[in-house]
Amino acid sequence: NSTTVLQGWLGILFCSIHGMLGSVLDCEVGGVHCTMSIEMLLDRAIQHAELIYRISEETRTQFKETFIPLALVTQQGHADHLCTVILPTPSSKSEVGQISDKWLLHSVLILVQFWINHLVDLQASLDHYDNTPQDLLDKTKWVSSKLMSLEKGLLTLIRKMLNENNLPLDNSKSIADHLASPRTMEHVMRDYTMLSCFRKDAHKIETFLKLFKCRQTDWPGCSFY
Amino acid sequence: ATMWTDSVMLAGLTLTAIFVSHTAGVSAPGRPRLTGCRSPEKETFTCWWEPGDDGGLPTTYALYYHLEGSETVYECPDYRTAGKNSCFFSKNNTSLWVNYNISVVATNAMGSSVSEPVDVDVVYIVQPNTPEDVRVLVVDDDPGPYLHVSWEKPLAADTQSGWITLVYQLRVKETSQDTWEEYNAGMQKGYNIFSLLSGREYAVQVRCKPDHGFWSEWTSPAYVQIPDYMLREHSMWIIVAVFAGFLLFVLTWTVNVKRSSVKHCLLPPVPGPKIRGFDPHLLKSGRSEEMFSALVTQHFPPTSSYDDLLVEYLEVYDVEKQELVLGVKNEDPLAPTRTSDNDSGRGSCDSRTLLTERYAEDGDKGGADRQLGQCVAELASPPLEEEKVEAWSTPFSPPPLHLQRQQVGGARAAYHSVLEIPCDSPCAPGSYGHQGESDISKPGGRGASTTLAEPQAQSAEYVEVQTVDHENVLLLRPLADPGGPDVDYAGEDYSKIRDVIPDNVLLLQREPSAWPCAADPGQDRGERSCPTALQELMQPCKPPGPLQQGLRLVANGYVDASAMLC
Repeated sequence: NSTTVLQGWLGILFCSIHGMLGSVLDCEVGGVHCTMSIEMLLDRAIQHAELIYRISEETRTQFKETFIPLALVTQQGHADHLCTVILPTPSSKSEVGQISDKWLLHSVLILVQFWINHLVDLQASLDHYDNTPQDLLDKTKWVSSKLMSLEKGLLTLIRKMLNENNLPLDNSKSIADHLASPRTMEHVMRDYTMLSCFRKDAHKIETFLKLFKCRQTDWPGCSFY
Repeated sequence: ATMWTDSVMLAGLTLTAIFVSHTAGVSAPGRPRLTGCRSPEKETFTCWWEPGDDGGLPTTYALYYHLEGSETVYECPDYRTAGKNSCFFSKNNTSLWVNYNISVVATNAMGSSVSEPVDVDVVYIVQPNTPEDVRVLVVDDDPGPYLHVSWEKPLAADTQSGWITLVYQLRVKETSQDTWEEYNAGMQKGYNIFSLLSGREYAVQVRCKPDHGFWSEWTSPAYVQIPDYMLREHSMWIIVAVFAGFLLFVLTWTVNVKRSSVKHCLLPPVPGPKIRGFDPHLLKSGRSEEMFSALVTQHFPPTSSYDDLLVEYLEVYDVEKQELVLGVKNEDPLAPTRTSDNDSGRGSCDSRTLLTERYAEDGDKGGADRQLGQCVAELASPPLEEEKVEAWSTPFSPPPLHLQRQQVGGARAAYHSVLEIPCDSPCAPGSYGHQGESDISKPGGRGASTTLAEPQAQSAEYVEVQTVDHENVLLLRPLADPGGPDVDYAGEDYSKIRDVIPDNVLLLQREPSAWPCAADPGQDRGERSCPTALQELMQPCKPPGPLQQGLRLVANGYVDASAMLC
């Protein structure tokens, strides 16, 4: 499944470059021409988000089991507050209900872009450990690639569904501010905190995309009954 | 310094209180413990704790929490909604993707204790309520009925906006069994269950789960009864079996009715003997001639060789004056075998020796006759005569045409019907001794090859039948003198046996010339009719061929046979 989704996203990459008109997108999967609708693209984006969340959860758990002694687990709560500072996001359903479709997609895009950058740092930090499991490193790399695919798809969706071409890049400054603070903590806890925050944001991404989908289409998961 | 003094005093008071409480049996409450928090719809959540030791005093519990990134401590807004020892967080108090740091404090008169803090993020503790309105429907279908299970989402879950995405699962069990069979229904709210046993009762349960969260509890079971039904395949097989049984019955009945022909077909009877050309149907029709005619082959019996057969055994016995003894050699085993003297091969005239022997046996009955030259030709003893007659008659059973072929006076081979016994005038037994120049084959002796060597014209000597004695013996008397017929033949007549007909009757051949012609009126009458003997006697007749003798009717009533040419 993941391979297929990756191929699909590679196709989306080419589609976004060409910038086709209409609700049907041209794509290319492994040299084979294909077509895709906006709904299909959105579904693929949601699938990506689900995968990313699952892998982030596994990565965090594995990291905790590998590097965090039991004594330090109790202190993890203090590190999680970093996450909320990154980006102001709605924290309740009522708040989410007030957000426009545009803001939803933009929020997702911001989150994706943030974590693309920070996962690179995380990987660099993981390489410094002596006994980092290879599986852990592979997962972080895999997640990074998936995030990049998701970013491209989101850009296409924004362009097609919102008819916007400008990409918000305002949050880069806020991201950079918070990069300094992790230094006060131990490396392990900082990495663990990052993985925890990443997991939370992945869940946000998935939820926002599903909300966005239910606003756009009659998805079976969006039934009232 | 003041603060230090106050703290020391406080510590001392606390120690005193603890000491006092211990001695009194009461103490501060034990630490409570948070057992868990759950959110049913990702909008509210509830936390539960279990109290510790109360220390013997009434204890109150309070829940405090603070959000990550904030130091503000809040107390639980609602202690009652969720029951005892619980705290309910309403929508306004619930924030997602935010960690709640929650702890419970137990307080009594002696003191308070704080539980372990717990971090909770609402999005990770979602456990929805059970699905609603589970309905089970039995649907009749072609192979068999199936169950259609339908349900509704939990009441509080907001799936319309996509805020929460639920997947469902159901399980079925026969009420008498113990194992459940689970089915994943995905996000749909209906499911069909097939291949259920007829006549059984089943229980159905449903539960759900958010995309990231915990499974809900199972609904209370819904019971359903599957009606009795027959599988189409079973009913088809029943029909096939009934039809096959009917066919088998018909077949058995047919075989039973026709069992004889079936038996004939399977076990063909061994063919009996058959005569070729024999049609048993002719037997039934009663036409036996046709039937037997089929049996008769063309060349059987060999009729053409009759003459040969009869000729074969001719024997000529030359006595003195070319006397002929003609006889029939018959191969019939019934023919009496005669003993022969030195002249082997005597034919019927071996009877002479027999006669002589008889005479010798019987005494001297006709010794005087012998002197007269009377020859007694004993044809046969009664049984022998019959045998002989029959023996002779056998070849003669065809129409007696052959007998007519006998030559008059000729010593031809066809004289098989004639029995002529050559007699000498003395007719003495001894006279035979030097007469036997020609062999007479025995009755059962050799063939007639030697006898046929003398077909010359030989004068035949005729015998006349003198008497027939009581033993059916013809007493013959030779005609000694071929001369004057009237004188010499007084009382002596001769005859030629023409045929032997059944009932032992001798047919004597009549010669026209042999008859004594009373007058001579019509001597030239060429009538060749065969009048009666008496008539013939009186009629003028032609002289016979070689025979010049006449015939005379003997007074004693016996017919003197004469050759008759008819």
